[in-house]
Amino acid sequence: MKTKLLAGLAAMILGAAPLAAHAQQGPTLRVGMAAQDVGRLDPHFAVSTIDRVAVAWMFNGLVRFRPGSINPAEIEPDLAERWESSEDGKVWTFHLRRGVQFHGGFGEMTADDVVFSLQKAGNAGSSAFSADYRAFQSVEAVDPYTVRITLRENVPSLLGLVTNYSGGYIVSRRAVEQRGADFARNPVGTGPFAMERITPNTSAELVANAQYFRGAPQIGRISYRFIPSDASRDLAYQNRELDLNYGRADQTWVNRTRQVPNTTVDVFEPGELTILSLDVSKPPFDDIRVRRAFAHAINRQEMVRWRGPDVSREGQSVVPRGYLGFTADNGLLPFDQARARALMAEAGHANGLSVRVIHTQLPEMLNGMQVIQQQLRRVGINLDLQVVEHATFHQQIRQNLSPLVYYAAARFPVADIFLSQFFHSRSIPGTPTAVTNFSHCNVADSQIDAARVSTNREEQLRLWAQAQRLLVENVCAVPVMETLLVFARRNNLSYGYELRGSMSLGPLITEQTRLN
Amino acid sequence: MSATLSQPSPLRRAAQRALANPTTTFGAVIVLLIVLGAVFAPFITPHDPTEQDIISRLQPPSVDYWLGTDQFGRDIFSRLLYGARISLVVSLGAIAVSIVIGGVIGMISGYVGGKFDLIVMQAMDVLLSFPSLILGLIVVALLGPELVNLVIAIALTAIAPFARIARAPTMALKERAFVEAGHALGYSHARIIFLHILPNILSELMVMGSLWMATAVRVEASLSFIGLGVKPPTPTWGGMTRDGFENILDAPWLAIFPGVAILLLVLGLNMVGDGLRDATDPKLRNE
Repeated sequence: MKTKLLAGLAAMILGAAPLAAHAQQGPTLRVGMAAQDVGRLDPHFAVSTIDRVAVAWMFNGLVRFRPGSINPAEIEPDLAERWESSEDGKVWTFHLRRGVQFHGGFGEMTADDVVFSLQKAGNAGSSAFSADYRAFQSVEAVDPYTVRITLRENVPSLLGLVTNYSGGYIVSRRAVEQRGADFARNPVGTGPFAMERITPNTSAELVANAQYFRGAPQIGRISYRFIPSDASRDLAYQNRELDLNYGRADQTWVNRTRQVPNTTVDVFEPGELTILSLDVSKPPFDDIRVRRAFAHAINRQEMVRWRGPDVSREGQSVVPRGYLGFTADNGLLPFDQARARALMAEAGHANGLSVRVIHTQLPEMLNGMQVIQQQLRRVGINLDLQVVEHATFHQQIRQNLSPLVYYAAARFPVADIFLSQFFHSRSIPGTPTAVTNFSHCNVADSQIDAARVSTNREEQLRLWAQAQRLLVENVCAVPVMETLLVFARRNNLSYGYELRGSMSLGPLITEQTRLN
Repeated sequence: MSATLSQPSPLRRAAQRALANPTTTFGAVIVLLIVLGAVFAPFITPHDPTEQDIISRLQPPSVDYWLGTDQFGRDIFSRLLYGARISLVVSLGAIAVSIVIGGVIGMISGYVGGKFDLIVMQAMDVLLSFPSLILGLIVVALLGPELVNLVIAIALTAIAPFARIARAPTMALKERAFVEAGHALGYSHARIIFLHILPNILSELMVMGSLWMATAVRVEASLSFIGLGVKPPTPTWGGMTRDGFENILDAPWLAIFPGVAILLLVLGLNMVGDGLRDATDPKLRNE
């Protein structure tokens, strides 16, 4: 009887092993997020802010940005302990950390998982970021702890493609194959937190991964709460129901929240660059005079005044500030209403022009567009806004149904990514390799391509600068402003690092993060 | 004969009786003030309702901006008056359309009777089973958020009740002697329905119309609140309330004023509608 009891007890303990790995003691971090639900938490499909923020807590890359930084020069080892590259920069070998465990008892992370993950990231059917991996010729497992990547051509930053960002996250091969489409709601990574459950319209609950290779997190759980209304979320925060709150990039919000007792407002990089892409292939924007009139009509200073100086800054180029390759010396047309009106008259629109534009009903973007609408109205351009639901907006702009597209984005901080995705002819919607080139511009294709494969940094910078000048001169798009990320936290929440930036668009919660 | 001709119409008599009630008069004054404000908005408003002034954003009520400004620095008072135009045009248009369509359907159905009546009324019951807002939402989502589509959407939600209201008295009236006399004189069915039955049920339709106006205002505001109203920058009360809700902790007046405007108009219309209904109700009249 006693033997049976012991055997039963042992079976219970063994059976509960994967759970025990997660049964971490520690406080619960309550995070408020502006959404009704998460979308897809398969990291290779995580494109929205709400998904990106949570994915970063659950997954690792081969390398990572130092927590709190988005500087590619500060990339450090993550799942790979070290790496080396061939002299021509086309063959990269990564040596993996041993003993790293996937969540939920999915075993040790090996080269096989890395090969699978990077191949998955490069496949359009299994990744939203496949275009970034076009230069990958092969990814092979040399042995269980060594991975070799061979490139067809040089890329500006190979480490950027294997870091803890977008397609660089490493997933469990066994979990993806076992769970199939369900993986998007039941993700399995190696990060400090593991997904426990998702309740739509309520929250996603994450639990600490006690086996995390950097040590067990000090926070026991994360309750990622879905509160779409800004006002309701703010009230929940003020009533001490949240420790960390997704903020509004708005000076009034920042000023008010700073007054809340025991609160710190974090404003951090990357700034999302808002650009107005003008479809040069169709009227009225096939006429460069109309495009120039648009550019002269946009008052960036007013946009920044509207958003607030703490959370926004003027867009200076078609590439965000601070990205490797960015240049402000590009001939950007200044705000000049008289010149805009003259150009409109020259183009035969002296009595004004009306443009039917599809736009999202997402308040933050709709509000921004209404300021633009007013600025254009002052020079006789009427934006006839067709306001649609956000998912429909994304669908319709990718069907080339809107000649003007208002889009805000942040990407890996190297000019190549932004230029390739937004301005290379390969990225025009409707083409097999479509990304987000809503302007249909192709004037800088050769410079973008040449810069990408160049091994000479100076030459590369010169080509990127040339590309920006060409795009600005041809008014393929009008840069408007850069909006920074804003979160409010209680002073008893310490990230464990200084938050200056986060490529996951939200604070990274690591094993060092504390809630006192 | 001449004495009969000089008698006021049933609707006019009902209106006179209703206005004798102070509650109805109060409601009528509210509605009248809002209508006057909307009609004379260009002469009353101190600012362009769509003109932005970023420097003056989120200003509290002041001498320059009587009801404050919104997140773009637009004058709330001016936007409220222009927004009233949308509320009134949409609700009036929708109710007019539903009275015409619902009334015709109800009269024909009641007049024809039999299986035709059964099928038509069951179809109306199906339409009635959808809550107004859901039906409006489906129509606007399908047709797009345009002024005309809003009118169609709201009209669709009110057709069934008007059909039911028109049908019942038609069924009673078609048995009356003057209708039978019409038949004997060889009048067409259309002539009997529209020239002889319609005048007798018009007052009931109009009374119900005034009550449904309030519902139409509410549905329009609700659709605008969820982003399916007239497109920006045109002001609508529902849209203004939504914008205000997002800024309620920074500038509560943004949501309060349009909310109060919706409340007052709905209240006024309900008071008028209730008064007219009571005035036309024979039981209450005898009391």
